[in-house]
Amino acid sequence: MRAFDVVTAKDSRHAVALLAEHAPTAKVIAGGTDLLADLKFSSHGPAMVVDISRVEDLKAITITDEGLSIGALVTHTAIMRSPIINDMFPALVHAAHTIGAVQTRNLGTLGGNLVTGVPSMDSGPTLMALEAIIVILSPAGRRQVPMAEFFLGPRKTVLKPDELLAEILIPKQNLGKPTHFLKFGLRKGQALALVSAAASVWVDVDTQICSAPRISLGAVAPTVIRAPKAEAHLDGRPLTADAMAEAGRIAASEAKPISDFRASAGYRRELVAVLTKRALEGAYELAKTKRRGA
Amino acid sequence: MAKVTITVNGEARTVSVPPETTLLKLLREHLNLTGAKLGCDVGDCGACTVIVNGKSVNSCLMLASQVDGFDVLTIEGLATTDQLHPLQTAFEEKGSLQCGFCGPGVIMSAKALLDEEPDPSVERIRDALAGNLCRCTGYSKMIEAVQAVANSVNSHPSVKSA
Amino acid sequence: MEKKTVVAEKSAPAQALLESVELELLRAPALAPLSPLPLEVLVPEARQQTPAVGQRATRPDGRLHGLGQTKFIDDFYLPGMLFAKIKRAGVASARIVSIDTKEAEAMPGVVAVLTGAEIPCNSFGPSLKDQPVLADTRVFHAGDGVAAVAAVTEQIAAEAIEKIKVEYEMLTPVLDPLESLKLETPGLHAPNPNIYGHKVIKKGDIAKGFAESDHIFERTFRTQMVEHVPLEPHASVATWDANGRVTIYSTLGRITLGRSDVARTLGIPMSRVRMISTIVGGNFGGKNEITTEPVVALLSKKTGRPVKCLFTRPDEFISSTTRHPLIMDYKTGVSKEGKILARQIRLVLDGGAYCSWSETTLGKACILSAGPYNIENLYAEAFVVYTNKTMTGAMRGFGAPQVCFAYESQMDDIATALKIDPMEIRLLNAFTNGSLSPTGQTLHSVVVKETLIQAAQRFGWNGAPS
Repeated sequence: MRAFDVVTAKDSRHAVALLAEHAPTAKVIAGGTDLLADLKFSSHGPAMVVDISRVEDLKAITITDEGLSIGALVTHTAIMRSPIINDMFPALVHAAHTIGAVQTRNLGTLGGNLVTGVPSMDSGPTLMALEAIIVILSPAGRRQVPMAEFFLGPRKTVLKPDELLAEILIPKQNLGKPTHFLKFGLRKGQALALVSAAASVWVDVDTQICSAPRISLGAVAPTVIRAPKAEAHLDGRPLTADAMAEAGRIAASEAKPISDFRASAGYRRELVAVLTKRALEGAYELAKTKRRGA
Repeated sequence: MAKVTITVNGEARTVSVPPETTLLKLLREHLNLTGAKLGCDVGDCGACTVIVNGKSVNSCLMLASQVDGFDVLTIEGLATTDQLHPLQTAFEEKGSLQCGFCGPGVIMSAKALLDEEPDPSVERIRDALAGNLCRCTGYSKMIEAVQAVANSVNSHPSVKSA
Repeated sequence: MEKKTVVAEKSAPAQALLESVELELLRAPALAPLSPLPLEVLVPEARQQTPAVGQRATRPDGRLHGLGQTKFIDDFYLPGMLFAKIKRAGVASARIVSIDTKEAEAMPGVVAVLTGAEIPCNSFGPSLKDQPVLADTRVFHAGDGVAAVAAVTEQIAAEAIEKIKVEYEMLTPVLDPLESLKLETPGLHAPNPNIYGHKVIKKGDIAKGFAESDHIFERTFRTQMVEHVPLEPHASVATWDANGRVTIYSTLGRITLGRSDVARTLGIPMSRVRMISTIVGGNFGGKNEITTEPVVALLSKKTGRPVKCLFTRPDEFISSTTRHPLIMDYKTGVSKEGKILARQIRLVLDGGAYCSWSETTLGKACILSAGPYNIENLYAEAFVVYTNKTMTGAMRGFGAPQVCFAYESQMDDIATALKIDPMEIRLLNAFTNGSLSPTGQTLHSVVVKETLIQAAQRFGWNGAPS
């Protein structure tokens, strides 16, 4: 690893100030599981690394007026153990569990996973299916970006060099929304997703009609994506087995998978159809007995 | 240079290291604690696993400065002057380690698990060891060893933690 | 004579042991207890279960492993030691036009630079001596080393190798072993041909066998390249004494062979090379030949300091040997009952850039390619060819797993087509005591059928005979 300097931020305000001072040659380190792995064999290191791992005000999981706020520095382990998240979004717990292994989940953070901008990120699909909002801090203040607009391409996000991802907000109207996440990798442990899929849906307990279905896919496009046509197919209908299978087929047509050494594009497309259907079934299972707002 | 003070295996140590030094390098090269191994250097193999503030981590993925003021436990801190840690005894008796390179990391992962969950299911043990790769013995004897400790801890609550 | 055997007793639990020793001793490093080993040489008899089977054995070094006190090569340091890094070519096939090391040499902290031209004898190998220590005129695969640096820290060495400028004249690489097999393909190591190993096994008359067959099955099977991934990367440390002798500590598993290769490349008699094998953190066949040893030895000679080189994980994947990928053409003729009457096999082994243990792998793969089955008419032919890829060498089974995948897959194909239970077709054809191997060896203590039946019963195979 190349030589670099480290400055440690005391709180989020300090972190933003340090980042403003050292951008654009600075890199931010939180859990380090991606950054240090990248820097180990890289010939170009940053001159300065801003360590935000001690920024306590970005480590909270709280319900606010805006919704559920998850601090960017919340680790995957903390997500798995949070009573609030276990209660409201078991899918987020499951997604966190599919990341790396215990050691990397103890270090790696939710914000860190998102800023990598890799299409196979395990946190992405569930949050996108929950229409999460990314809260960004900079010297200019605080701005919010909907998750669907956060990613620009592989390893590219809207974050500017002096901006810090501060929190992830699941909007109020989606609190407790039934959601299901599935990941398919070549093995169970420490595998990258060949395809991942998440679905969230409200179902009217009396009529069984579904509303606001949201489907999100990972590892099958340059970024994590939504599948709007598949969603439109389901909106306002009962979630029959046929309807969910058809939504899977539509989602497969919306995906733009590539072939690589892990799997062919065709195989990934098949997986999208199957995983989307199963994610919908999983969300439906939770939804059919759950009254909205309950 | 970054000045780092840590409590390692119960003893306070202050070291000055280049800022890019990882916790693994700090332990191995500056404190001569070579039990944690460098296998892949990118957090995939788990040979460098140590326990920081009660949690197992890949020491190759932490900067030394990030553990300043923290409590670090390495494989060297498990045995005491008068006894081996029950995990070390069990790994020896069950023949869980062959070449031994992954062993310290595996035992630290198992220790972190048992500290939080004295009686884990096989599924939980497998999950806890998923970040530790072994190419020699396979994992079944390691799981057997962890189970043996879990069972003995359960029947003798007094030897819960070393 | 009645045979008396001593079986190692299960070691006493640590607690009991602890009561009997001075407690202070255990702080570190603790010593493993002596294990009572059998003093009488056991002569196993065929079919007789040896007393070791079914016993749980503990390893004498198990305790040190668990204590983290086993000293692997990267766990010790010699005073004044320098760190070496090897620059990789990064291109599959090229002629080296020039190597400029000036900028690297001028870097503070860099003590010495080494190129292939400085190596007394720049070739080695377990059988064919076709591998350079550092490529000097020609690059044969992307993992070839082209220069090395010794510096006061690993970090400086890593930075320095990037300052070395190598000018290449790019050549078209041969990547497909079937392409390499063609006689018109120019030889990688010209004037030597690309086919550097060949073996044929003939038995009976395959034309007659196929003519008598009711069904003929043909299929091509392929396996991929596999890296050993020992948890401990390859490494070596060299240091010279005043009498012109070099001591090399190494993670090598085949120390004696390594010693002769080191002596050859350094151009000194074997008596001046002292090789010390450190505890090997996983080998699996991948640590059976030298890698960094001559480089650290020469850098140490240049600098008068001990020099260590430790592979990074990327080095491990591109610059150590791997398992041979095989392309396996199988043609098998069977009677309508499923009895194999003839089998014709062609194996093409992708040897990568250098020979390494290819000849051994070729032989074993060819001999085992027919499977554990009685086949009267057999023709098996195997080739190993050069390609501009990471070299392939020894790995667990020397070609046996690859051919096993092919012949057992074809047995399943045949069973499915003939609607015969997969167990039954194997029992119909399997070796028994006295069967002849493809090379004409009479086989003893053959328990293929018994093993199959027991295994099938244990895992509840439906077609298992009761």
